[in-house]
Amino acid sequence: MSRFAPIRTAEPDLEKQGRGYKYGFGKPTDDYAFMSKPGLSKRVVEQISSYKKEPAWMRQLRFTALEIFESKPTPAWGGDLGSIDYDKIHYYLRPTDKQEKRWEDVPQDIKDTFDRLGIPQAERKALAGVKAQYDSEVVYGSIKEAFEKQGVVFLGMDEGLKKYPNLVREYFGKLIPAGDNKFAALNSAVWSGGSLVYVPKGVDVKLPLQAYFRINAPNAGQFERTLIIADEGSRVHYVEGCTAPSYSSESLHSAVVEIFVKKGARVQYTTVQNWYQTVYNLVTKRAWVEEEGVMVWTDFNMGSKLTMKYPSFILAGKGARGETLSMAMAGPGQHQDTGSKAIHLAPYTKSTIISKSISRGGGRTSYRGLVSIAPQARGSKSKVVCDALILDPLSRSDTYPTNRILCNEVSLEHEATVSKIGEEQLFYLMSRGLNEEAASKMIVAGFVEPLIRKLPLEYAVEMNRLIDMEMEGSVG
Amino acid sequence: MKAKMQNSKVKLQVGKDQKKQVVITDSGKYVVALVGEGAHVDIVGVFEGKGNDEIDIDVEIRHEVANTTANTHIRGVVKDRARVKLSGMIKILKKAQKTNSFLTEKVLILSKNAQASAVPNLEIEADDVKASHAATVGQIDEEQLFYLMSRGLSRMRAKKMVVEGFLAPVKEKIASGL
Repeated sequence: MSRFAPIRTAEPDLEKQGRGYKYGFGKPTDDYAFMSKPGLSKRVVEQISSYKKEPAWMRQLRFTALEIFESKPTPAWGGDLGSIDYDKIHYYLRPTDKQEKRWEDVPQDIKDTFDRLGIPQAERKALAGVKAQYDSEVVYGSIKEAFEKQGVVFLGMDEGLKKYPNLVREYFGKLIPAGDNKFAALNSAVWSGGSLVYVPKGVDVKLPLQAYFRINAPNAGQFERTLIIADEGSRVHYVEGCTAPSYSSESLHSAVVEIFVKKGARVQYTTVQNWYQTVYNLVTKRAWVEEEGVMVWTDFNMGSKLTMKYPSFILAGKGARGETLSMAMAGPGQHQDTGSKAIHLAPYTKSTIISKSISRGGGRTSYRGLVSIAPQARGSKSKVVCDALILDPLSRSDTYPTNRILCNEVSLEHEATVSKIGEEQLFYLMSRGLNEEAASKMIVAGFVEPLIRKLPLEYAVEMNRLIDMEMEGSVG
Repeated sequence: MKAKMQNSKVKLQVGKDQKKQVVITDSGKYVVALVGEGAHVDIVGVFEGKGNDEIDIDVEIRHEVANTTANTHIRGVVKDRARVKLSGMIKILKKAQKTNSFLTEKVLILSKNAQASAVPNLEIEADDVKASHAATVGQIDEEQLFYLMSRGLSRMRAKKMVVEGFLAPVKEKIASGL
C-alpha cells in the first residue's frame, strides 16, 4: 500500500467484523485481455510462457519449477497453509494489451482505482519512476530520463527479459532457485511481472525507485519476480508498497526477490505490505552481499491473512553488512510470521536485525529468525532485538530465533521482550489530559518510531496514519 | 528446596506459593511447569564443554496459571571441539496473566573448533505479562586479558580467571540455594 494512504480513517461496522477493507471496491474483471483458467497444470504454464513469447530456457525453467512445486510438501512449521486451494487460483491475468507509455493512455478503469487510492498528480511526476503493477503486468511506468542516461535499468520483469535476456539469464534463480522452497518453485513456474533493476558501477540513484503492486481480480494469484543487481560502488533504494481491493475469496501472493549487492554497493529494499485480510502472502527475499557491500531490508507488514516472509542476506564478502528493520502488526484473524535471516560467510561481516511487532484483537505475530556464523567468518558481529507489544488478552506473540555459531572470534547478541502497554505510561499520559485511546496510540507510535524514522518521509507519514487507523477502537 | 536434574528427560511441577530452584549441569530435556498461583522457579544452568563433548540442553518453562514467575540463567563455556546447543522456551498460556518470566543464555567459545547454538523461544498468549529473553555468544574480551596480563598474570592464568568470573554469577546462585 503506502503512498496512497487512506483518506477516511474508520469504517466502524466493517472494521469490527475484522473484514473491513478501506478500499472496498473490487473492479469487475470482464475486460481482461487474457485470463488463464483457474488451476495449475503444465498447460497453464506453457500458455503463460508462449503468450509472453519467452526464450526456451525460461520455458524450461518454468517446467522444472512446476515439477519441484508438485513434489514438495506444504511446509508445516509456520502458519496454517491448509486452506489454500491451488485449483481455484488464476495464475495469469493481463489487464490491457500493451505497455502504456503515457498516463493519458492508461484505461479509465485502472485510473479510477489509482485515483481512489489518492495518488496526488504532482507526486506522480516527482516520483523517480512509478511501476504500477495492476494485476500481473506493468501497465503504467515512467523512468526519469536522468537515470536512463546513467545506464540505470528499471523495467518490468517481462520487458526486462526481452531487452536484456543475457543479464536476466545470468542472475535469474541463481540466489533463490526453484528448489529453495515450495513457494519459490510456484513463483518460478508461473511468475509474471515484478521489476528488473540494474545499477551500473558507481552510480548513485538519488531518488527511490518505486514499484506499486495491486491485486484486483478475485482469486488472482500474484507471482511477481524481482531481480536487482547493484554493480560495484553503486547505491539504490527500491520501494514496494501493496494494497488489494475487497473481495471475499482467498487469494495468494507469492513473490520472489533476488538482490545482488556487488563490492562496495548499497541496496535498500523497503516494503509496505497492506494486502486485504484474505490474502496469503508467502514471499522469499534474499540478498547476496559482496565485499564491503551493504544490504538494508525495511519490511513493514500490516495486512494479509497470513504473511510468511523472512528477508535474508548472505554476507559473502569480507566486511559486508546487512540490516533488517522489520515491523509487523496483526489484527483480528491475522497472523504475521515474519523475521529475518543473516548468514555470515566471510570475515568481519556484521548484521543487525531489529523487529517490532504489535498484536491486537486476537491477532498473532511471530518473529522467526536465523543467525548463522560460519567457521571462516572470524571477527563477525550480529545483534538481534525483537520487541513485541500485546494489546489485549485475545492476542498472541511468539519469538523463534535460532543462532548457530561455528566460529569463536565472534560476538552475537540476541534479546527479545514481550509486554503490554505500561500502566504507568498510560497513567502519566492520561494525567496530562489524554484519553485512554489517544494515550495508547501515542505509546504505540513511540514504540515503532525508531523503525518508521528509517522510511522515506511520505511513507513515514502514511505509516503513522495507518497505524493510527488500525488502533482505532482497539481500546476500551 | 533443590532438585538436581541429570536424567535425559525431567518434568517438574511447581505448585501454589511454592518456590523452587532447579539446577541444570547436564544435557537433557527439562520441562518446568508452574501450575499454582504464586509459584516461583529459579532455573540455573552451568556447563563446561571440552574434548568432543556434545551438550544439548533444552529447557521449557510453562506458565499455566496467573501470578507465576520464573528466572532462568544458563551460562557455559566450550573449548576444544565441544559443541553446545541451548534451547529455551518460555510458554505463557492464555490464563496465565500477571506473569513474569526471564531467560538468559550466555556462552563463551574458547577455541577455534568449538561451536554453539542458542535458540531462545517465546510463546506468549496472555497480554498482562512481562517476558524476555537474551542470548549472547562470544569470546573472551581481549581487553580483559590485557588488563590481567598487565597485572602480571600469564595469558593462561588470565583466561582462566575471566572464565571463572563469567561463570561465577550462576555458580554463586547454585551455592546459595534460593
